[in-house]
Amino acid sequence: MTMVVKGKVGESIPRVDALDKVLGKARFAADLKMEGLLYMKVLRSDRPHARIKDIRTEKAEQMPGVVRIFTHKDIPGKNRTGIINKDHPVLADEKVRFIGDAIALAVAHTEKQAEQAIGEIRVEYEDLPPIFDPQEALRSATLIHEKGNLLYERDITKGDVEQGFAESDIVIQRTYLTSMVEHTYLEPDAGVAWIDDEGRITVCASTQNPHYDHHEIVTSLALDPSQVRSIQATTGGGFGSKLDVTVQCFLALAVYYLRRPVRLVYTREEAYLATAKRHPLIMKYRTGVHRDGRLMAMDIDILGDTGAYGSYGIAVAGRAAVHATGPYRVPNVLVRSRMAYTNHPFCGAMRGFGVPQVAFAHESQMDILAEELGMDPFEIRLLNAFDRGSETATGQILKESVGMRECLRRVRKQRDEMQKVSAIPGKLVGMGIGAMWYGIGNTGVKNPSSACAELDHEGRFTLYTGAADIGQGSSTVLSQIAASEMGIGIEDIRLIRGDTALTPDAGATSASRQTYISGNAVREATGNLRKSVLAEASRFLEIPPQELTMEDGLVKSMKDGEILTTLEEVTARSYSEGKQLRAEGFFDPPTTNLNPETGQGIPYATYAFACHVADVQVDPNTGEVDVLRVVAAHDVGKAVNPSNVVGQIASGVAMGTGFALMEEFVPGQTRSMRQYLIPTVKDVPVVIPIIVEDPEPTGPFGAKGVGEPALIPTAPAILNALAQALGERIYHLPASLERVLKACRREGSS
Amino acid sequence: MPVQKIRVRFRMNGQEHEQEIPSNITLLELIRDELGLTGTKEGCEIGECGACTVLLDGKPVYACLILAPKVDGREVITIEGIGEEGKLHPLQEAFLTHGAVQCGFCTPGMLLSAKALLDKNSHPSREEIEEAISGNLCRCTGYLQIVNAIEAIRSGEKE
Ligand code: FES
Ligand code: FES
Repeated sequence: MTMVVKGKVGESIPRVDALDKVLGKARFAADLKMEGLLYMKVLRSDRPHARIKDIRTEKAEQMPGVVRIFTHKDIPGKNRTGIINKDHPVLADEKVRFIGDAIALAVAHTEKQAEQAIGEIRVEYEDLPPIFDPQEALRSATLIHEKGNLLYERDITKGDVEQGFAESDIVIQRTYLTSMVEHTYLEPDAGVAWIDDEGRITVCASTQNPHYDHHEIVTSLALDPSQVRSIQATTGGGFGSKLDVTVQCFLALAVYYLRRPVRLVYTREEAYLATAKRHPLIMKYRTGVHRDGRLMAMDIDILGDTGAYGSYGIAVAGRAAVHATGPYRVPNVLVRSRMAYTNHPFCGAMRGFGVPQVAFAHESQMDILAEELGMDPFEIRLLNAFDRGSETATGQILKESVGMRECLRRVRKQRDEMQKVSAIPGKLVGMGIGAMWYGIGNTGVKNPSSACAELDHEGRFTLYTGAADIGQGSSTVLSQIAASEMGIGIEDIRLIRGDTALTPDAGATSASRQTYISGNAVREATGNLRKSVLAEASRFLEIPPQELTMEDGLVKSMKDGEILTTLEEVTARSYSEGKQLRAEGFFDPPTTNLNPETGQGIPYATYAFACHVADVQVDPNTGEVDVLRVVAAHDVGKAVNPSNVVGQIASGVAMGTGFALMEEFVPGQTRSMRQYLIPTVKDVPVVIPIIVEDPEPTGPFGAKGVGEPALIPTAPAILNALAQALGERIYHLPASLERVLKACRREGSS
Repeated sequence: MPVQKIRVRFRMNGQEHEQEIPSNITLLELIRDELGLTGTKEGCEIGECGACTVLLDGKPVYACLILAPKVDGREVITIEGIGEEGKLHPLQEAFLTHGAVQCGFCTPGMLLSAKALLDKNSHPSREEIEEAISGNLCRCTGYLQIVNAIEAIRSGEKE
């Protein structure tokens, strides 16, 4: 063991998996090669809504190099998947519900042969009327799914909203719209499957949740869980999209029959066509305020287009509802949040789960109210912002770690100290604020994580976690938590992650939950192990355990710091007596289910808070918007790795800038990266990150989370800055060139 | 129709290569499939993402857009060839210490674009750095720590 330990909580150490990545040695799924590898391609629907009358594969089967064609008839188990509601066929059986629905698989000796075989499969359809509008879907007699076109509704009622409006001096009502957004993780979905040494069907894929993949494979193949193994390959970003199964069940099905390794790598076009999008929401906000600036009432109606399948639609509707008020105290609230099926591509989880959308609405409302009241936009937010003891719309009292006001104050101070942006002739400038809150973990449901820590007979430490690191840094953060708890260096930690044969279930890499929830599980596992080690040492040394401590890989006396023995010695003696040193940890955040009618309850154990301020410059002749800088303050509880937190903040600002100004996925039109632009280095503003640490007592070392919060305030801040610059507000994201130009013309003519 | 084969000679990461290759494959396919060097990534196949960036005679190119026979008589450098044996290239080091790597899928292409810049301009401005990597998309980092890492080399900062 090293004497100077590095990598404790709070240190900006390099990521534990970055070395292989800079060397080009990290193996993503598409990089895996195997003896006798076969290749797969997927036939996808070219109809938005149709009954399948027949699928003819004879001709395709005769094509050169083809090993086998698969359709729904080959699926031995249940042909329905879905993380929350099971409505998504692995391969379409009765119907197709969107352009891109998977119908058949071809496996061949080369990718090209598989591709050619796909072209020879004939599907006979009977077209059904398609629906592309969620409002129409709720009225229509055409059913996309048998149980109806309404996927889910979440209502929240608090106080008496009409009374609240009656007591308001100003009431404003506006409607906000957002567009479908494509995650555009840089690595297209991919996976390889084979039979492992123990005869298990093994799927190694780009994923955010290997344990969930395992479950879907087991169900679709009707196997015993022990016959399937799911491994997370190095994953090139996910942002929510890789929470759904993509290639996993396809590959497992082929290996089930063929017993040979098979690979499937999506092209970018296929990833665009076939995977989840961000839900476009229609948000109607009515907000009432007292003349002194206090929020009195909010009546909010949210309707989302979840597309062809449920995916995370229910979670997005629920989370959007809970967060709809923004981080503010509102005594009277009425929220109705619904998701409707349409024949669009399905929408699922995307960084923020509906909160980036509602934040655009509630932050625009705040600025409109401030203007009506003649109040400073910081002041109206500070006046209403959550604080310790505040009650949320679901009736939860926020007890600890409520850094909202601190974020607002820090951003304001930073901004006051910086030079004002002055307009160059012909350009307009504006400054805008966006604030947000974000519940860590899933909404009002159990979402536990477990972990395991072990010392082998030579005193080597291994941490086992199912948590998928998709680039956000959980492997590093969890290792740092273990290092701190165990009193050893980061280089002494071996991490085994994301393999259902080896690691306990940590739940999904989503909802910004891995630092807080898996971090706690890791801390508990490591803490338990530490206790066992000290108990063992106490036995050998004949000193009571409470007088011992562990530091730098050494067991020391609590009293005077005297070195008494080493980890190696303790483990060697334990193992020589046949005693293993292994411990488990578990954490499930304390939440309650929301009341089905009133939505009252404790949906999350803790919340992250943030505030961004953006400076923009607009060219009124072209509609071009330049986001010059963003000051971004985030209350993360405790920054386990400050450099990682800064990385997440810069990442979120970039994605938020895309969401605000550029990104709109138009089904049927957006086919490739040529039609879908994400921010390049030239599109992103200068970012001034501010880390606020208001410790969360239930978090590991006080930590909460930052992955999704990073993105949420950016678009609202930019849109508020644009409103200031243009003197006209834009209610529809993205604020594209056309929408900005239109706003300029409106302003010019008024 | 059988694909025509063509014999090409080129230098790859400091080594001479001479081999028969199908005449219709891209440089990216040559690198990944024929030579088995998987450090170079494929993100779009149409010259939009920059994940496949390699150096051709010292200039950054999108390997997915170049036909493989074009390498005849030229020199190619991929991520596997930028450091010396057993030693990291200073850029690789800087990417590590500045937190410039998240998922890592853009990283190889990003490093090669940065190397091309530093090879011809050892003191680039922040704008020049941004220009040099403007053809490389990164969805994870927001670019901040990538630009910081490259800038740290320019100013000779050692960490
Ligand atoms: S793969 Fe070549 S530019 Fe995207
Ligand atoms: S680090 Fe993921 S795309 Fe750049």
